[in-house]
Amino acid sequence: MEQSSRMEQLPRELKYIQYEHRLETQYLPAIRALISKDLSEPYSIYVYRYFLYQWGHLCYLAVDPEDSSLVGVIICKLEAHASHSPPTLRGYIAMLAVSSAYRGHGVATTLVKMAIDSMKSRNADEVVLETEETNVPAMRLYERLGFLRSKKLHRYYLNGNSAYRLVLLLRPVDPDSAADLALDDADIYR
Amino acid sequence: MGGSGGGEGIVAFDVTGKFRAAAGALELGELVKDGYFSLFESVGALEIMDPKMDSGCLAPGESLDEDYNVTRVLSPEEVIGIIDQLFCLEMAWYQGYPLSQTLLTNVYIDRMLEPEPMTLQDADFIRERDPKKQTDPMHVVLRAYCLGLVKCCWYINDRIKFEHYYEEEDFVTNTYHRSLLDSFDLDEINDELMAARRLVHSIRHRISDELAQALGFRLELRTAFLRAIELSVLRSNPESLSLPWTQMKAVWESIYQSRVLGQAVPEAFSTKIQRRLASTMPPRPIVKLSTEETYKHFKKLFVDGINVLNVLNYHDSQSLLNFVMTFQSQKPQPLVYIRTLLQSFLFKDMIILGKLSIRHVLDDDLSLVVLPASKLLDPANDLVEAPHHWRYALAHQMELFRQRAAQSYLDIFRAFCQNRCRIRRTLCHSIQDWETVQMDAEQIDQLLQHQIEEQPLVYPPTGDAEGSGGIGPTYSLPLSSWAYLYKLRLMEWIVQLGFELEIYAPDELGGMYWYLSELARSRARLVDRISFFIKHRAAVQQETSPSSAQEVAFAKSKQYLYQTSLDAAITWEMADALSNLYAAMGRLGLVVPPPRPYSTDEMRYDVRMKPFAAIGMPELPSWEVYRAATDRRQVETGRLLEDARLSLEQASRGLEVMERLSEKDSFSVGCFERWVGGVKGQIVAVDRAVGVVEVLKRRLRERGEGKKGGKELGLKVEIGKAVEGGHEWWVVPTVEEVDES
Repeated sequence: MEQSSRMEQLPRELKYIQYEHRLETQYLPAIRALISKDLSEPYSIYVYRYFLYQWGHLCYLAVDPEDSSLVGVIICKLEAHASHSPPTLRGYIAMLAVSSAYRGHGVATTLVKMAIDSMKSRNADEVVLETEETNVPAMRLYERLGFLRSKKLHRYYLNGNSAYRLVLLLRPVDPDSAADLALDDADIYR
Repeated sequence: MGGSGGGEGIVAFDVTGKFRAAAGALELGELVKDGYFSLFESVGALEIMDPKMDSGCLAPGESLDEDYNVTRVLSPEEVIGIIDQLFCLEMAWYQGYPLSQTLLTNVYIDRMLEPEPMTLQDADFIRERDPKKQTDPMHVVLRAYCLGLVKCCWYINDRIKFEHYYEEEDFVTNTYHRSLLDSFDLDEINDELMAARRLVHSIRHRISDELAQALGFRLELRTAFLRAIELSVLRSNPESLSLPWTQMKAVWESIYQSRVLGQAVPEAFSTKIQRRLASTMPPRPIVKLSTEETYKHFKKLFVDGINVLNVLNYHDSQSLLNFVMTFQSQKPQPLVYIRTLLQSFLFKDMIILGKLSIRHVLDDDLSLVVLPASKLLDPANDLVEAPHHWRYALAHQMELFRQRAAQSYLDIFRAFCQNRCRIRRTLCHSIQDWETVQMDAEQIDQLLQHQIEEQPLVYPPTGDAEGSGGIGPTYSLPLSSWAYLYKLRLMEWIVQLGFELEIYAPDELGGMYWYLSELARSRARLVDRISFFIKHRAAVQQETSPSSAQEVAFAKSKQYLYQTSLDAAITWEMADALSNLYAAMGRLGLVVPPPRPYSTDEMRYDVRMKPFAAIGMPELPSWEVYRAATDRRQVETGRLLEDARLSLEQASRGLEVMERLSEKDSFSVGCFERWVGGVKGQIVAVDRAVGVVEVLKRRLRERGEGKKGGKELGLKVEIGKAVEGGHEWWVVPTVEEVDES
């Protein structure tokens, strides 16, 4: 509540940009700082580069147009998911963060929408992610867009909290591939 | 690490120059990787000199190791304080946190285990004690306690690893290359504990009776714990196995009472020890459970430890299944070690409960569900050696079936020993397995019906029900019916666990209850068919004066089929009621679906029903059927609520009957209390739902059909909030009337 009243006084429209490799020096430290704030365990720089180098086009930044400072970021990947036959093209939202002063104004929703749109244009079949069971705002955000909880993952995080797997189907399921649909990597690798 | 320059057969090169040259050709942030470098590897990578990742990175002035002096004199109060802190860490480990953040943060334990002691004498936090000097009694006590504790951990770790569990999800078995006194004999350690207890007793006047008792309790608990673990492999009579558990439960109260005597020694615990463990993890914080939480969890552990033993009193296969299900549905769920015990009682060495063959339990179940007093299960078949004899053929075919079905059958028990999330996920896979079990069983059924010259019957007898009407006589198909019944139950459990785990969005609840109702009705129809064929067979056998054993088998089976069809009826009535209730609430604007711009109702149906899509029987209803059935558009809202009320009335009647069933008639021998608790929870859920329906009907009457939303109707609605005393599988909304002012 407090944040939103403060935000109402901020007239600026945020600028949304797609990440590119040339922005690394300018934004990577800020991206890491923003995301690390909500994490008990920091990701090494290799994790960021793993995503950004391969799927920079699925990473979007929300920046303050005045000083170009980072306000929000979303980091994703899009890969063939082999455990399904035929393989599905599965988008995965790996990280999403918005600076606390800007929360409650749809910045995160805008970033997620941009990422989904981009995945959709690249023929993604579905988008998945995990979110902490206690993270009610995140679940609400995704569920408002159309995600469903498909399963609960017991003690998924190092802090002992469980997670929900959220799934958004972007194209109808091919009925012939239904036999393998109950499987996915959370079942195979964990 | 790369410090090994002189290892045998290893020639070290300095590649710094080459590496720098190659790296210089890259842009900052450019990633060179092969196809095998996965996200997993990138997550595992560390950044040198980042204090949160680099375990060797020190803050200015920070020392690498903790500098606690383990040889210092300890007061009895401090020993109590240290032991009580160890309880908190031990419980955190049982709950799934790693040893590195729990027990291995204790300096005394660390010094005792590293370097690895080769003799019992060496298993001490003070190595090479001066033999001329008498050891400080408090050191003796703490050492003995730690020996007992570490040995306990070794056993528990070992037992858990032996059973089915999920590493890092249920439990972390990693000991970071520390040996948990693996090679030491339990007797040796027990002797140390006993000696310490005697020592405490002998100095009680010096340190005060109170302190001596408090120390004694703690040592006693450790002795009892080791005894309980030792006995558990016996799988014999529960009464004798429960003694140490009962002792622990009692002494635990005294330990809790005497906690006030302790004096904490926080310096004796350090995250720095993690740097010396075989792990790339940087030091992570100590997991701190509060004393109160620790008390509660241990108390529950001991109660569960006593209760789990009752599984050993085998009565019948369905009571066994109900034991496992009700035991596992407790909130909070029993700890993984207890679940491990349950698994080992059930399955160890392929001997069920330490005394029964898998065939025994499986045949019990077949007899109960589909084949009471049947010659298919007659052990005499096995004695026939002439290959052309029909009995030989029966024995052979039945054995084929058992080999096919036993694993799937036992897997149900195994699945229910897992954590709640895993149960549901595992069952989603199991139903596909049961689909093929059912198909294979049907083939065997056909061979068997030929062998025993079964006469087909017209079912349903009146010929007016849906399905086989007009198709002509059919066979009983006992084995595939049995498999189908399990498949249906698994499907129901998947949906029900979805409610329990809060998988469904509020606007999905109505639809999922509709589907549950469909499944329960399928079960009831199947049970009806099974009962029909058994009744016919019983009548035929009646003519040839059956033995009393056969009559008992028919009666037991009849009771089981009655009980399960009653349960199915309660399930579909309650599910219908809630489905109608949520449909009405949707119309009244009391359940508002989110906008969902990226999704359609139909595609979400695909996602939701994914686990069932591959099942041929019962076939997943099409989206159109599902939508029409859950919207019930042609039915007025008032009628929906009235239908809900009527269904609840039926469910309530069914539950009243259910509640009065005996332990035997409800197939909950050994778990009757928990089973009745479940029925009572359902009764509460029905009563609450009746209340909600009444409120909605009244508001609708008072304010007319046109009103929409909580504001106009003067209602405050909450959905999905767990309410005390109800039942996790029945999500009843809370609806509160608010007076608009």
